[in-house]
Amino acid sequence: MNMSFWLRWSWRDLRARWLQVLAISLIIALGTGVFAGLGGQESWRVDSLDTSTERLNMHDFKMELADGSFIDQTDLIAALDGIEGVAALEPRLIVPTLLDASTEDDTVLAQGQLVGVDVSENGPQVDSLYVDQGRIFTSDDAGQNVAMLELQFADINNVEVGTTLRISGDVELETVGIGQSPEYFAVVPPDNSFVFGEANYAVMFVPLSTAQRITDREGLINNVAFILADGADSAAVQAAVEAHMTASFPDTGLDFVTRDDDIGLTMLYSDAKNDQVTWDIVALMFLVGAALGAFNLAGRIVESQRRQIGIGMALGVSRFWIAFRPMLVGVQIAVLGTLLGLLAGIGLSSLFASLFRDILPMPYWETSLYMPGFIQATVLGILLPFAATVLPIWRAVRVSPVDAITTGNLVAKGGGLSWLANHLPLPGKSFMQMPVKNILRSPWRSLLTVLGISMAIILMTAFIGFLDSFVATLDRAEDAYLYENGDRMIVTLDRFYPETNGEIAAIRDLAAEDGSPLFAQLEIGLMLGGRLIDGDEDIDTLIELHDMDQAIWRPKLLAGELPTASDEPGIILSEKAADDLGVAVGDLVTLEHPRREGLLSFRLVQTELPVIGIHNNPVRALSYMDLSATNLVGLNDVTNLLVAKPAEGAQPDTIKLALMNQPGVASVQEIAEISESFEVIMDLFVTILQVVRIIVLFMAFLIAFNTTSINVDERVREISTMFAFGLPVRTVTRMQIFENLIIGVLGTALGLVLGWFALNAMLVARVEDQLAEFKFIVEISPETLIVSMVLGVLVVAITPLLSIRKMTRLNIPDMLRVME
Amino acid sequence: MIRLENISKRYVMGDVQVAALDGVSLEVDKGEFVVVLGPSGSGKTTLLNIIGALDVPTEGHVQINGGNMTLTNKVNRFKFRRETVSFIFQTFNLFPSLTALENVQFVLDMQPADKTKKEKRNGQANRARAIEVLTDVGLGERVNHFPHELSGGEQQRVAIARALATGNPVLLADEPTGELDFRTGIQILELLKRQAEAGKTVLVVTHNREISRIADRVIELSSGKIVSDGAPRGGKAEIADLQW
Ligand SMILES: Nc1ncnc2c1ncn2[C@@H]1O[C@H](COP(=O)(O)OP(=O)(O)O)[C@@H](O)[C@H]1O
Ligand SMILES: [Mg+2]
Repeated sequence: MNMSFWLRWSWRDLRARWLQVLAISLIIALGTGVFAGLGGQESWRVDSLDTSTERLNMHDFKMELADGSFIDQTDLIAALDGIEGVAALEPRLIVPTLLDASTEDDTVLAQGQLVGVDVSENGPQVDSLYVDQGRIFTSDDAGQNVAMLELQFADINNVEVGTTLRISGDVELETVGIGQSPEYFAVVPPDNSFVFGEANYAVMFVPLSTAQRITDREGLINNVAFILADGADSAAVQAAVEAHMTASFPDTGLDFVTRDDDIGLTMLYSDAKNDQVTWDIVALMFLVGAALGAFNLAGRIVESQRRQIGIGMALGVSRFWIAFRPMLVGVQIAVLGTLLGLLAGIGLSSLFASLFRDILPMPYWETSLYMPGFIQATVLGILLPFAATVLPIWRAVRVSPVDAITTGNLVAKGGGLSWLANHLPLPGKSFMQMPVKNILRSPWRSLLTVLGISMAIILMTAFIGFLDSFVATLDRAEDAYLYENGDRMIVTLDRFYPETNGEIAAIRDLAAEDGSPLFAQLEIGLMLGGRLIDGDEDIDTLIELHDMDQAIWRPKLLAGELPTASDEPGIILSEKAADDLGVAVGDLVTLEHPRREGLLSFRLVQTELPVIGIHNNPVRALSYMDLSATNLVGLNDVTNLLVAKPAEGAQPDTIKLALMNQPGVASVQEIAEISESFEVIMDLFVTILQVVRIIVLFMAFLIAFNTTSINVDERVREISTMFAFGLPVRTVTRMQIFENLIIGVLGTALGLVLGWFALNAMLVARVEDQLAEFKFIVEISPETLIVSMVLGVLVVAITPLLSIRKMTRLNIPDMLRVME
Repeated sequence: MIRLENISKRYVMGDVQVAALDGVSLEVDKGEFVVVLGPSGSGKTTLLNIIGALDVPTEGHVQINGGNMTLTNKVNRFKFRRETVSFIFQTFNLFPSLTALENVQFVLDMQPADKTKKEKRNGQANRARAIEVLTDVGLGERVNHFPHELSGGEQQRVAIARALATGNPVLLADEPTGELDFRTGIQILELLKRQAEAGKTVLVVTHNREISRIADRVIELSSGKIVSDGAPRGGKAEIADLQW
C-alpha cells in the first residue's frame, strides 16, 4: 500500500465532508481561543500592573506625616539628603477636599483629595502621571489653578477636559488633563469606606505650589514618596529615613507605607489572581464543551466509515492502513483546528484583552497571546480528534468482517431497540412512525446525536445561566437596597456623636434657601464593625443598628421577623453569612464587637445573640440589629450613622452639598449610588460573560447544525430509495424534521438538566468560593430557557430545511447505484 | 405503453465522453415480460432508470401510456414514479428500521399523498393489504421480521411485495437475482413472471443470458446500443429448464 494512495483517498473524504470538518475545527478553535483568551487574564493583569507601576516610577514606599502635621519642603529635602539607598524622593502635599464638578447637564459632587506634586520637569518623577486626555503639567503650571483629574472618577462621572472643578474654599481649578498615577490605580478613600472608591472619590493632581497656596500651606508638604536604589533594603532605608526625620523634626509623627501595605495595589494583584480561578473554570468548561462536541462529531464521521473498514479487513488490509484513513480525518480536524485555533486565539485574546483594558485601570498593557493556555488548548485540540477517531475505529475492527459488510444492514447488527417500537402504540402513518423507528434502530448513534445536541444546550444553559446568576444577584442587591424609600441618603459621621450634640442638630435643621427643611425624616443609627463567630467559622461583619419601629428603611427578610424595641436583642444576618456559619433563625451566634468602656476607649467583647432574621442583601458582611441593642455596645444615645429621607421637592444634590459641608460628616451617599457601585464591582464579569455568551451561542449552533447534517448524510441512501418510490421531497423533509424534533427534544431536555447541574456544580460552587463576600443567586432566566429550547428544538428540527437543496440535487441513480 | 425514441445518455468527464446509451428506441406493450440483457456497463441500469424517470436522457423522448412525460419537470417525475412505475433493486434497498410488513405498508401509506388516486385508505386497511401482498410472495409467516433477520431471497421478496403494493402498472427490476443463488433467483423470476401474466408490464435487467431465455422478448444492449430485440436466442425456455 502506498501513502499517496491513501492520502488521495482521504482527500476525497475531505472534499465530501469539508463543511463538517470545518465546523468541528471551528468548534475546537473557539474552545482554544476562549481558553487562551481567558487563561491570559492573570498574567496580563499582573504584567500590566508591573509594567505600569514600573514605567510610571511608582514609589517603593511612602512616608506619611501624622494628620495635621506639615514640614517645610526645603528643610525636608535637606534633612533627607544623602541617605544611602534612596534613588529618588518626591515631596507632596495631600489634603482632603470636596469637589463640585457639576456642569449644566450633570451634577457631580464628591469627596476627594488634592495631591500637590512637583511640576518642574513635567510632573512628579516618582508616581508619575500618565495623561489619558488633555496635557501633562509643565513648569509654567506652577502656581496656576490647573488640575489633572483621576481617570476612573472622570470616566464614571463623565467629567471632561476643560471642566471647571470647584473645591473647598471656593477655589476653581481648570481641568487640563485626565490621567492616572500608579498610586491611584485602585482608589481607596482614606476612611476605607465600603463604597467603591473610583466612582465616588475624586483625586485631583495639582502643581505643588498651587496646592500650597490654596490650602494656605506655603512651602509645606506632608507626604514623601521614595524609590529605592537597586539592591537597597527597604526596611533599612526606612529606618535611616526615620532616624534622619527624628533628628530634624523630633515632634512630627510619621508612618511608612510600603507597596505591600498598599490596600489598593495588593487588591489589584490579588483580584487578578482570584478572578483567574473563575475564568479558568469558565474557560475549562468551555474547552471541555468544545472538546466533547468535537469528539462526538469526529467519532460519528468515523462511525460512518465502519462498513468500509470491514471491507478493508475482509480484503486483508493491515490494521495500520485500516486505521490510517479514518485517522486522517482526525489529522485534518487537528490541523485545521490548530490553524483556526491560532486565529481564534489571537482574535479572542485581543478581544478579551481590550475588554480588560476598558474595565481595568492600568495605562500600560501587556496582552500578548497567552502561550501556556494556547499551547495547552492546542495540544488538546490535536489529541482530541485522534481520541475521537480511535474509539470508533477500535469498535469497527472488533466486528468480524462478515458482519461489517453484510448488505442492507449498515450499522446495527441487531435491530437495536427496534423491538420496542412494536410494543409502542405509535400513531400515524408509517412515514411518521419511521423517524421513531430510525431512532430506536440504532440507539448508539441516536444517543451520540442526542449527546451532541445536549452538549450545545449544556454550554448554553451553564454559561448564560452563569450570566443570569450575576444579573439575578445584582437584581437582588438592588431590591434589597431600594425596595423602600429608594431616595434615602446614608450619612456617615467621622466619629460617634451624642444625639443631642450641636452637629446632629445642625444637620437635622438643614434648610433650603427658601427656608423649607431639606429632610422629611432624619433617622439616627449606628454602624459598627464586628465579627460573627460560630465554632471555627468567623466572618467580618458591618452591623447597622436602626430603630426598626420607625426606620426609613428596614432590611427585607427572607426568614424570621423584624425586631421591635421591646424584644431581647437579636441579630439579622445575610443569607450567605447564615449559610457559611451554618445557622438559621432561632440559632445562637457569637458576635465579637467593640463595647465602649470609658469616654473614648473601646474593648472587644463577645456576645451570644439569637439569629432573629435572614435578610435578602447578597452582601455577606451586612448585619442588622434594633437600635435598642445599643446597651450591648455601650453606645447609648450616640450615633455615627444617619439615614435621611429628602423632603418632597428637595434636590438630592442640594442636600448632598449641604451635608458635605457640615462638620462631622464623613461621607454622604445616595442609596442608589451604593446599589450602583455594586454593579460596577460585577461589571468585569458581566461584560466578559456577555462576550462568552455570543461565542457559546455560535458554538452551540455549530454543534447542533453539524449533528443534524451528519444525520442527513447517513440517510442518503434511504432518502434516495424513498425518492425512487416517488415520495415527495416535502414528505421526506417532514420525516426528517420529525426525527430531528424527537432528537432535539431529548437532547434539549438532557442538556437543560445537565446544564443546570454544570452551572451549580462547576461554575457557581467554585465562584462562590471566590466571591466569598456575596451570596450568588443561581438562576436561569426564562429568556435563557427559551433561547436554549429554540436552539435545541427549533434549530435542530428545522436544520433539514437547509438540506432540502442538498436532497433535491441528490443524484438518485448514483446514490442507488453505489453499494454502501 | 412504453415508447422510447432515440434516447441517448452521455456523461462528460473532462475530455472523455461516455455514452451510456446511444440512440436507443424501443416500445414495450402492456403485459409484456421483457428482459434487458447485456454485459456489465452496456447501459442496462441507465435505460431502466430513464424509463423509471429516475434519470433524464441527454437526448430523445420518452412516452409512457401515450402521454409525453415532461422529463424536465421534477414534480411530474415524482408523480410518475408514485403512480406508474415501481422499482426492484439488486441490493433490495429496504428500510432497515422497518419490518417487512412496514416496508410494504410504507408505500401504501404514501398513496393518499396523491389526492387524485382512490379514496383515502385507513391504516388498518393498508396493513391488511400489506399482509395480503406479503402472503402472495410467500412471506406470510415473516411479516414482523426486520430486513436483517431475513435472507437475501426473502428480502428481495419483500422488495417485490413493496413494488407490487403500489399497484403501479410497470415493474422495473434491476438485476433482481444478482445477489441471490440459483434456486432463490429462479423463485424470484417466477414471481416476477407471474406479475406479467397478471397484467403488469415487467422489465427485468440481467447480464445472465440463461435467465433471458424465460422471456417472450429479449432486448440486448451492447455499448449503449440495442443490438437485438426479439425472442430469446437459443429459444424460449421454461424456468424449470434453466441452468446457471
Ligand atoms: N454518473 C456517471 N458518470 C459517468 N459515467 C457513468 C455514470 N453512470 C454510469 N456511467 C457509465 O455508463 C455506462 C453504463 O452504465 P450502466 O447503465 O450502469 O451499465 P450496466 O447497468 O449495464 O452495467 C457505464 O460505462 C458507466 O461507466
Ligand atoms: Mg447495472
